[in-house]
Amino acid sequence: MSDPLPSALDDIRILDLTGQIGAYCTKLLADLGADVIKIEPPEGDATRLIGPFYHDEAGPEQSLLFYNLNTNKRGITLDLEDEGDRERFRKLAATADIVVESFAPGYLDSLGLGYEGLSKLREDVILTSITGFGQWGPHAGYLAPDIVGVAMAGIMWLAGDPQDPPNVPCAYQGYVCASIQAAGGTMMALYHRDATGEGQHVDVSMQEALLIAEETAMQTYDMNKIVRSRTGGRTSVPFPVPGIGPYEAMDGWVFSYVGTPGGAPWPEMLRWLEEEGMAEDLSAAPHREVIEQLNLRFLTAIALDKDLREKSVGTLERIGEVLSAFFKSKSKWELYEQGQRRRLLIGIVSTPEDLAKNPQLIARGWYQDIDHEQLHDTLRYPGPPYRLSETPWRIERRAPLLGEHNAALGPR
Amino acid sequence: MTSTLPLTGINVADFSWFAAGPICAQTLGTYGATVVRVESESHMDGLRGVGPFPTGKTGYNVSGYYNNYNVNKLNVTINMNTDKGRDLALRLVRWADVFITNITPRVIERWRLTYDELLKERPDIIAVYQPMQGYDGPHRDFLGFGAVLTPITGFSHLTGFPDRPPAGLGTNYPDYVINPGHTLVAVLAALRYRRRTGKGQRIELSQLESSVAAIAPAVMDYTVNGRIETRAGNRSPYAAPHGAFLCKTIKVSTPFGEADEQRWCAIACLSDEQWQSLRRTMGDPEWARSDRFATLAGRKEHEDDLERGITEWTSERLDTEVMETLQAAGVPAGVVQNARDILESDPHMRERGYYVYLDHPEAGHNAYDGPGFRLTKTPAQYRTPAACLGEHNFQVATEILGLTPDEIADLMAEQVLY
Repeated sequence: MSDPLPSALDDIRILDLTGQIGAYCTKLLADLGADVIKIEPPEGDATRLIGPFYHDEAGPEQSLLFYNLNTNKRGITLDLEDEGDRERFRKLAATADIVVESFAPGYLDSLGLGYEGLSKLREDVILTSITGFGQWGPHAGYLAPDIVGVAMAGIMWLAGDPQDPPNVPCAYQGYVCASIQAAGGTMMALYHRDATGEGQHVDVSMQEALLIAEETAMQTYDMNKIVRSRTGGRTSVPFPVPGIGPYEAMDGWVFSYVGTPGGAPWPEMLRWLEEEGMAEDLSAAPHREVIEQLNLRFLTAIALDKDLREKSVGTLERIGEVLSAFFKSKSKWELYEQGQRRRLLIGIVSTPEDLAKNPQLIARGWYQDIDHEQLHDTLRYPGPPYRLSETPWRIERRAPLLGEHNAALGPR
Repeated sequence: MTSTLPLTGINVADFSWFAAGPICAQTLGTYGATVVRVESESHMDGLRGVGPFPTGKTGYNVSGYYNNYNVNKLNVTINMNTDKGRDLALRLVRWADVFITNITPRVIERWRLTYDELLKERPDIIAVYQPMQGYDGPHRDFLGFGAVLTPITGFSHLTGFPDRPPAGLGTNYPDYVINPGHTLVAVLAALRYRRRTGKGQRIELSQLESSVAAIAPAVMDYTVNGRIETRAGNRSPYAAPHGAFLCKTIKVSTPFGEADEQRWCAIACLSDEQWQSLRRTMGDPEWARSDRFATLAGRKEHEDDLERGITEWTSERLDTEVMETLQAAGVPAGVVQNARDILESDPHMRERGYYVYLDHPEAGHNAYDGPGFRLTKTPAQYRTPAACLGEHNFQVATEILGLTPDEIADLMAEQVLY
């Protein structure tokens, strides 16, 4: 490698047998410097056929999803159903510190290449297995694409509008979380191996990997026997709460948390409306008095006190109307940047275009331009999830073409 | 089983709060690290004030939200707005292998806990900062927490049905796995590097950057193809059906009496074979035999009809029956479970024993999330429930900070250990 910077994992070789559920795990380790050899079946990893595709041209060498999941890896093809290829795999396995796989539980065992088989080839091997439900238990054999994982882990139940079916989170969050947890588990096992010489099997279940992302749903049921459900982003109180929730801007959306702790209080929002000449009647009674005390404590009091609620609802609705009109009159970036400079908790609802143009990401040089010489093009990738000062994350190599390193690694 | 865990002997000074920091530090603790969580009466973790609370209990030691992210930790209260408090913090840094904080850069700088300052105390420290946006850049001091992070990072725009507002995932989603999980990988890499070279380092995880990294395909569809993807409901270009299907409504008991509960089962056919299996499992109804549905392209074209037909079948059945029948026939399916299902009735969860029950002196006997990954020889340990605020002040002050009882008494009186 030409890069003179040191790496945390440059002495580590990983054999990557994963499909889409596990590819982000090995990418994280490869981007920290591990020598990751992606082993695909002769027809190629199925992830190669998942889009989006480069210039929308579908094909196994064109998947942007595959590109991103497989940076820094080398690639070879092996047919594990074939004894000759299995022998090649065994030779490689003897040189590998870590094997990561996502086959159905028991499949590698049936080939003699499960943890027991691998540890005969390499006593201190770490085998990380990433599946929908883990290596054992009544659902271990269940088929589990991303949607099944996020459904069974309670994530879908919490997402969406009550009038719709529960929502699937975007961009394969079941796979992403399973892979992140697997990378943590693999690193933990490696740290242990370095000290003790003892390898082990790391078992990652997509369902378990996601469960802590139910937020408080589990504890709410455990402690109060109440099932938290999807709310469509609205507060659960039975009256309008101005300033909390998604609001339309002139050209998109923002999400507002004005009046909650951590940001400037509602009167600052009123000052902004007044400065822009859009406060309408909010500067006067009875609206101003409500705005002065419009915080979570006041809202709780309204929720508990029917008389106060009946007295306040009209005012709250009016405040909401004026606020909506104000948001609608400005662009999402104006609302985000100007609101934040007033310490109002307003977030832009970023589209992918907004992310690409985000001044913060650009100023910090986050995006990475990676050369794809076979496309005669340079593609812009998401950058580091973390920045390590001594052993930095980096992309040195685009994802491998199918079988690109067969010759170099000598399997055929 | 080995008696030592991977991180036995590693000391962690946990100056974080809310979720992204404490969850990472908790994971280090469950795998053997000694974690000292620093709070203060004047700067306690905001989650202590947020429910759920055990029925009939209140106070800042019983929040299920807070407690779930703080098992195994010692808790000390140090008033960082005093010079003596800062001295105590630096003593803790001298003890620590890992320092972690997600408190906003402005405050960390005011407290002088930046990497340069920590290096003076502990040259091989691994110092972990998890700012919302980063320690530099034009948005450095923007406010935020998970609820604002979800829209800012693109999750809200991309999730849900196209005719609905971008409501997000119903949670502060990146706070729980994406950001603490990424941080864990970085910390373990740094620990490994330090063991090989003796060198510590600074880790910065911008929560914005870490979260956007988790939606890479949509980002690259724009940066490479110029397409602005938008939320498209539950459907997938690569599978049909692909969604949550309405099943039979059930009766459940709630604290407010018996209630109806809508139930759903996720179903996905990633291949024509899986569709054929689904069709047969549904009893091969007339509508499903149509050639329109034989290929993925056809099912995508007629997806409204496809979903209507499948719903006719699922709505007559219990969600669990739909899942079990379809899985037995080789069709990916999973109940859209809620917290009650997962905690109480999911047979797989029960057999794997994911949830951990701990007895807390004030909160009582409660469930805690278990490990997000399982190490077969060195499994995570959940030894003690979340600590009460300042519970270990005396122990930490004597055993770790090396103070005498007289010094401790003075510092308590001066509201430094406070």
